[in-house]
Amino acid sequence: MSATLAGHSRTRSLHVPFSLRRRRPRDFDRPRFLRVFFWAFLVFTFAPLVVVALFSFNSTRSLQQFAGFSLQWYEAFFGNANLRASLLASAEIGLVTMIVGTFLGTTLAFGLVRARSRVARAGNVLMLIPLVTPEIVAGVSALLLFTQIKMELSLATIMIAEITFSISFVTVIVRARLASLHHEVEDAAMDLGATRLETLRLVVLPRLWPAIVASAMLVFALSFDDFVIAFFTTGESPTPLPVQIYSSIRFGVQPTINAIGTFMLVVSFLIVALAIALPRIFGHREEESVLIGREAA
Amino acid sequence: MTATGEAIRFEGVTKKFGSLTAVEDLSISINRGEFFSLLGPSGCGKTTTLRMVAGFEQPTEGRIYLDGEPVEHVPPYERNVNTVFQSYALFEHLDVEGNVAFGLKRRKVPEDEIRRRVAEALELVQLTGREKQKPSQLSGGQKQRVALARALVNRPSVLLLDEPLGALDLKLRKQMQVELKSIQREVGITFIYVTHDQEEALSMSDRIAVMNEGRVIQCGPPEDIYERPTGEFVAGFIGISNLLSATVTAPGRVRVANGLEFPVSLPNGCKAGDTVNVAIRPEKIAIDEEVTDDMVSVDGRVEARVYLGVMTQITVDLGHGARLVALEQAWHRARADDRWEPGMRVRLGWEAKNCLVLR
Amino acid sequence: MSENRFAHLMLAPAGVWLLLLFAVPLGIVLAVSLGTTDPVYQAVYGWHPGNFADVFDPRFAPILLRSLLYAVATVVLCLVIGYPIAYYIARFGGRWKTLLVAVVVLPFLVNYLIRTYAWVAILSDEGLVNGLLEDLGLSETGIRFLNTPWAVIGGLVYGYLAFMILPLYAALDRMDPALIEAGKDLYGNRWQTFRHVTWPAAFQGVAAGCVLVFLPALGDFISAQLLGGPDTYMIGNLIQQEFLEAQNWPFGAALTIVMMGFLLIWMLAYLRSAARADREGAL
Repeated sequence: MSATLAGHSRTRSLHVPFSLRRRRPRDFDRPRFLRVFFWAFLVFTFAPLVVVALFSFNSTRSLQQFAGFSLQWYEAFFGNANLRASLLASAEIGLVTMIVGTFLGTTLAFGLVRARSRVARAGNVLMLIPLVTPEIVAGVSALLLFTQIKMELSLATIMIAEITFSISFVTVIVRARLASLHHEVEDAAMDLGATRLETLRLVVLPRLWPAIVASAMLVFALSFDDFVIAFFTTGESPTPLPVQIYSSIRFGVQPTINAIGTFMLVVSFLIVALAIALPRIFGHREEESVLIGREAA
Repeated sequence: MTATGEAIRFEGVTKKFGSLTAVEDLSISINRGEFFSLLGPSGCGKTTTLRMVAGFEQPTEGRIYLDGEPVEHVPPYERNVNTVFQSYALFEHLDVEGNVAFGLKRRKVPEDEIRRRVAEALELVQLTGREKQKPSQLSGGQKQRVALARALVNRPSVLLLDEPLGALDLKLRKQMQVELKSIQREVGITFIYVTHDQEEALSMSDRIAVMNEGRVIQCGPPEDIYERPTGEFVAGFIGISNLLSATVTAPGRVRVANGLEFPVSLPNGCKAGDTVNVAIRPEKIAIDEEVTDDMVSVDGRVEARVYLGVMTQITVDLGHGARLVALEQAWHRARADDRWEPGMRVRLGWEAKNCLVLR
Repeated sequence: MSENRFAHLMLAPAGVWLLLLFAVPLGIVLAVSLGTTDPVYQAVYGWHPGNFADVFDPRFAPILLRSLLYAVATVVLCLVIGYPIAYYIARFGGRWKTLLVAVVVLPFLVNYLIRTYAWVAILSDEGLVNGLLEDLGLSETGIRFLNTPWAVIGGLVYGYLAFMILPLYAALDRMDPALIEAGKDLYGNRWQTFRHVTWPAAFQGVAAGCVLVFLPALGDFISAQLLGGPDTYMIGNLIQQEFLEAQNWPFGAALTIVMMGFLLIWMLAYLRSAARADREGAL
């Protein structure tokens, strides 16, 4: 059929108007290959997570056959005192890191945007380096710090290390938002009698809030999920959940881990959902692109 | 210490940003209740001067006195001065009422007084009824008025306005100019108004300071600035100015390049052979039948014609590079658009006393 | 208080924190790398640059080279897989673009450990795939997926793919589709259009993505640990071992410094090219 058509177009090419002549569509006109690739990609990337989630409800130990629905692995998870302690520890770490990291990151963002001096420029560089430091370097340096100052490893040391590496994320996000706010509004507030601190509280913070909330959620997720830094800076017990998981996996696959994994999965998704939803409650739509921008940065 | 009626005094104020001098040796005083304008092209230092009065910049040298007190180290939030910003700078997350009440709340004014004064201020700018609206719901002109109300409600001793009407369309701008002037008279507060629009400055001000490259070139009432500019810059910046280059031939007489000689009043110190600039305002030039015998007259060719509706502006070539711009208001003709063609011969004339000689 | 002073005051808390708890520790790593240990494994400072010589000892060469190889392979695979995805969304996503990007990135928001574990669960000898293969009669003893270089590389790709897709998408999205149309008319063929129109615009995104994947991939040890074995050890595993098992801190620190130094070169090169691109103006 196509040969006939081709033959047709060859003989007719001089007589048929351009618009009616058949042209073979080029690959980038017709994204069929790309579309297939895209959906295959999605299947491959989601599949492992789906599998883990599925088998976390499996009534047997098997990872090959789904025998029946059961919550036993979740019972094993929440019933285990050790694991519960780890969960609590991770939550604590996440919360403390979120609060301190967000505070430090926000003040740093404000300082970097407004300060003019060599010190400020150096501070900017100092802030950017943690973002490109491989986690293992982060972990190693934190470990050495604590041992050299003779500080015992514990949840506190994990928190300190996590905070150190979360500050930069907050600063980058908040600074982007801050830079887009009109400086004149702060002048106006001071002109009307507000001190610098009052201006910050009454005029800047309300506009900055969505970025702060988004970055806080991000910091919580990152520190709750973090493994490498925690691995190097953790004490004996309790250890955060990811460290527990790691130790368990070393002994081979265990069904309880499916439950823990699924649980952490859900928590991660919830945090992201919050990070996107909360700023919207304050009525600003650009925050999700801020998050994506962060990853791209 | 205070000369009575002096709201602000600058003494030798200089402001440098690194190697850039934004304001140089500024020494003027502004009277209480005056509508005072800072007029000049972009970069002349007028906004920097305003910011120094507001407290956002500190002078590198010199002193500034507000109501007789030196204020170089007083922060903006402690000065009895308020600013209306070019971009309005309204607080987007507060409504109109919240914006206007902001300054009063900072000063811990009691609640009921706040409500009363806010209502007064909104009435003054004709925005009563919009208390609960957010800035995003307002038009440019309305935002402008909120900014004005927000500043005035605090009863500052000086109100600073930084090109507040720049973003408005022509009709609205003219309307706001009239309103601003009448509000100023009603409230009696000293206004310092920064603009690059000389028409605006001329129509609204009690006094104008013309600035260029950081310096005040001339300071005085609008008529002085317009009718008696002290130099080429002011003459050229305000209105259209015709400048004819001329040589002094005898005390009180000059000759222009094309041979025309006429009497003028020369400033002191001019002697024969000096080169001066003779300035004549276009509206002071008579055309054709308007030229009388006692005027200095000259013939030329029409080079260009601009129809402005209200009047026609013609550029006349007098020969030897001399040219004059003249304005004709067509009060004696029903239609003026076909009056002038390039190439036509025309006679121009002016009274000798209407010339100004600039060195 | 002047604005500048106030701003510096705001800078201070985080600045001091980063200085003391980030910069100083890095210095300590350097100091330890030049030191040695006493009999109870406490670090002793001194001048022993020999630790660095040890790093380049032939014993460890395979590990270093392997890390480099795996990291490069990861970058290449991420590029090959990520580019079509980013291109597809940028060019054909329409109003669903942001949503598509979010969906694509979603799995990567899950803990890296969990994701790696998921592949362990699926690919292990008792895992899902082997189970399916046995059930379908395709294999008797099962295929060994884990403990192979490809498993490790696969784990690395799965770990860092998002860092390639996002910058690529950002760069491609910024590109004007009208340019491609013009290119098609001008060059008439796919390859030329790609080479002269698409590639220059995409290059910034590609460079960013490669750096953002290469840097963490080189120092990774989780994939190698969980999906591989002693034969697939990377430099990260070595470092981890020296610190947490062998207690040979000076050597571990030296390894860390060498790795950091190597990565720094690429980081600086990227920053320099990014700054140059900014100056010349993005397309």
